[in-house]
Amino acid sequence: MQIRDYIIRRLMIFPLIIVGTSIIVFALSRVGGNPIAIYIEHEMSAEEVAELEERYGLNDPLPVQYLAWAGGVLTGDMGWSAVSAQPVTEALVDRIGATLELAVFAAILAIMMGIGLGTFGGARRDRLPDHVTRVVSISGASMPIFWFAILLLILFWVNLGWFSTGRSDPTIFASIAHPTGIYTLDALLAGNLTAFADAIHFLVLPALTLAFGATAIIARMMRSSLVEELNEDYVDAARAKGLPERLVLRRHARRNALIPTVTVIGLGFGFLLQGTVVVEIIYRWPGIGRWMADAVLRGDQATIMAYVLFTSILFLFVNLVVDVMYAYLDRRVVLGA
Amino acid sequence: MSAFDQRRVPRVLTLLVALAVFATACTGDTTDTTTAGTEGPTETEAPGETSPPDETTTTGAAAGDIVNPGLYVHAADDEPLSVDPAQVAAGEAGETVITQVYERLVEIGPGGPDLIPSLSSEVPSVENGLISEDGLTYTFPIREGVVFHDGSELTADVVKYNWDRVLTMNLPEGNSSVLSDLVASTAVDGNNFVVTLNDRNAAFLNSVVTAAVASIASQEAIEANGGVQEGVVNEFMSSNMVGTGPYTLEAWNRGENIQLSIFGDYWGEPAALDARIDQVADADVRALGLQAGDYDSIETDPTFIGDLEGMEGVEVFSGDFLLEPVHMGMNMNIPEGALPPEDTIPVDFFHDVNVRRGFNLAFDYQAFVDGAMAGLGGPIPHYLPQGMLGFDESLPMFERDLAAAEAAFTEAGYWDEGFTMTVLAEEGGIFEIAGLVLADSMAELNPAFQIRVLAVVEAQFDSAHAEDPFQYAAWIKNADPFADPAALFAAYIHPDGEWGAVHGFRNAYADPDQIASLVDEAAVELDTDRRVEIYQELAGLLYEDPVWLIPGNERALMAHRSWVQNFAMNPLWPRPSIKFAYFDKG
Repeated sequence: MQIRDYIIRRLMIFPLIIVGTSIIVFALSRVGGNPIAIYIEHEMSAEEVAELEERYGLNDPLPVQYLAWAGGVLTGDMGWSAVSAQPVTEALVDRIGATLELAVFAAILAIMMGIGLGTFGGARRDRLPDHVTRVVSISGASMPIFWFAILLLILFWVNLGWFSTGRSDPTIFASIAHPTGIYTLDALLAGNLTAFADAIHFLVLPALTLAFGATAIIARMMRSSLVEELNEDYVDAARAKGLPERLVLRRHARRNALIPTVTVIGLGFGFLLQGTVVVEIIYRWPGIGRWMADAVLRGDQATIMAYVLFTSILFLFVNLVVDVMYAYLDRRVVLGA
Repeated sequence: MSAFDQRRVPRVLTLLVALAVFATACTGDTTDTTTAGTEGPTETEAPGETSPPDETTTTGAAAGDIVNPGLYVHAADDEPLSVDPAQVAAGEAGETVITQVYERLVEIGPGGPDLIPSLSSEVPSVENGLISEDGLTYTFPIREGVVFHDGSELTADVVKYNWDRVLTMNLPEGNSSVLSDLVASTAVDGNNFVVTLNDRNAAFLNSVVTAAVASIASQEAIEANGGVQEGVVNEFMSSNMVGTGPYTLEAWNRGENIQLSIFGDYWGEPAALDARIDQVADADVRALGLQAGDYDSIETDPTFIGDLEGMEGVEVFSGDFLLEPVHMGMNMNIPEGALPPEDTIPVDFFHDVNVRRGFNLAFDYQAFVDGAMAGLGGPIPHYLPQGMLGFDESLPMFERDLAAAEAAFTEAGYWDEGFTMTVLAEEGGIFEIAGLVLADSMAELNPAFQIRVLAVVEAQFDSAHAEDPFQYAAWIKNADPFADPAALFAAYIHPDGEWGAVHGFRNAYADPDQIASLVDEAAVELDTDRRVEIYQELAGLLYEDPVWLIPGNERALMAHRSWVQNFAMNPLWPRPSIKFAYFDKG
């Protein structure tokens, strides 16, 4: 099957998956507690609670409630986000940029460090660089994110004073327009290098924290794949032809070792999105992960539904990209077979 | 082991040691501070006095190097759901901003419970003729020359518009009932705002006029942005503020911070510093930010006292007691079949005064106050927190008395057979700890007394808590902050009050009509001495016939940098009980 046909077929299935996911989450949200728990205080009388339930349409049958919500989504109205005191759509747009910026920077860091470390260790099997790679991998995979984040803050915020929490210096942030919601991009679009430096400065610690776990996974996969590839006959053949070791590694072994690593990178992006919840709380990063955590703890169902819908769509697209990349890197893979 | 392997061992060990040194370097200072500050509470200066900056430090910002000069940064643990006074419930995070940006007719001063003029140029009293002889009519002369942040002028008509707005909107999530329960009518007489009450109420000025819900906003701004509709939220007012206070709302960067700017045309003493409220959900990060000097004050809890008191350049304010004691509600109105299957108690378990007294006599108050409250708390009589009108240390208070508790449970008939009971609590904080202390206390009294602490997240707790009838035998949380005992007794003691009705106090009290009569009498009595007398009589009755278990009352607690001048905290002010406009840095 042509890649184009495969993509079209996958895209056609997307709406069905999204609707199915939203029905499941909607049903679970009704089973898991009062959908307007965030508004309910114990001082309220039964009449006041009933008034709120009426306001939020909870007296209608469940299918009607779902259709009302789904209809709203199609028209851009996803309800009111109580935890952020603004319409859900507006809150989502405000926060997506921050989370995507963090996740993408962390992904870039994780890919660079993971592939670099994996290659560095795999090419020097059972030597010191290999041990370093393994120590970093094991610590990254086993160290709780929140603890690593607190350690970085103690070192770089309290002791050295180099970094802080939050996303920006409020004054610098307010000095430029934010058409995309991605601070680094907005700073570049505005041609404001001070703002760009500010954005990078506040990104360093949260991105590093978030990337650490993913780096470990990528590095381990890259290392083991590379070790395997370096034992293959075609590598011996390349060496026998007199190709320098550097080229054997770069042109042959590493390219093939990347194939399984790409799959891990795709899954790692999901890992990063999950990790943003903790990282955004610790670093006061105003993204959707923290928004979601607030919503879960305080029972804001409109926000939870929006988050799930958004992440479902994001995951679908990330998985599609990974599948296509996999086929691109390994011509033996037949998409849709 | 091969020779190759033997060569590898030192390298790996060296690497591990290096990592350990790195980790130790990162955590070393925290370990020191954790163990350093285990002494008792630190009393801070009275308002107006200044703490000398500390010149020596080993970690964080040096005490003398002021971070963010000209800006006061407060780290809050929560973000407002709304900043509209008509939509914010008592104790909600919205009060943190409302307190700084909006003003009310009269305010509670920084030094205690005394009222001071604000948008009303005088505090009404019978003596100055602004409270009628029958105690039903209050006249507020509106201050001249006050302008809102949008430039519009304050008049008596605007005040009436604001009070009527709250009553008209009557949002269930807000706090409009404190007005609607009392106010019969509002009127304007020249530049006077006149309120007539349904009945005399001794707490009207202290509890109602000073409440966040009675804040005054610009009528022009409201009318230009949606106006007033019955039962409908004004989305503009939910996220924008146009008040008369010393601060204007500069920006609300959701999920990050709220920025306040000094209002140049403020009618009173202008604020010295701009202010910013950072939303910092994690308590450890708030403590680190204070240590780094980026935050001037943080909201914290007693479990951090040990860390905070050891920090250079940091002071812990532990002043007066909060007016919201931790309490365990006993349900005398349990529906048949509602209790969890593990519970063995009958639905009329708490109807027996011996059971209620038995719980009160068995609880280990000292362990709770010393442990969960880090010593910054104490017991109270039922139901008069320290600082509340009528409180007296000589009033009877429950102490742990295992022999008396055994006698009470024996009299009730549970000593030999024992019981299992579930108590609902919010997870992860002082309430869950109170439940665990209760479980230990009861098991120590009699191993056959089993308490299951069902700890749930805040949203689940609030949903269950709001159910009427309540579906568990007991729950633990803190009381709502009331500035006057009238509101407190109406909510928590009156047999037909808010909790009296839900919990079925009439099934419990030996003489519910006597309790009701006394609570009602005290609420309308304007003579303070007589009120004190009534509340103390009630405290005696409730010692014999308790309907709550009160593990302890916590002191107001806030940690701040030493460079903050004039730091004052008044538990009678709405959350977070501080007003940035009083502060300076230097």
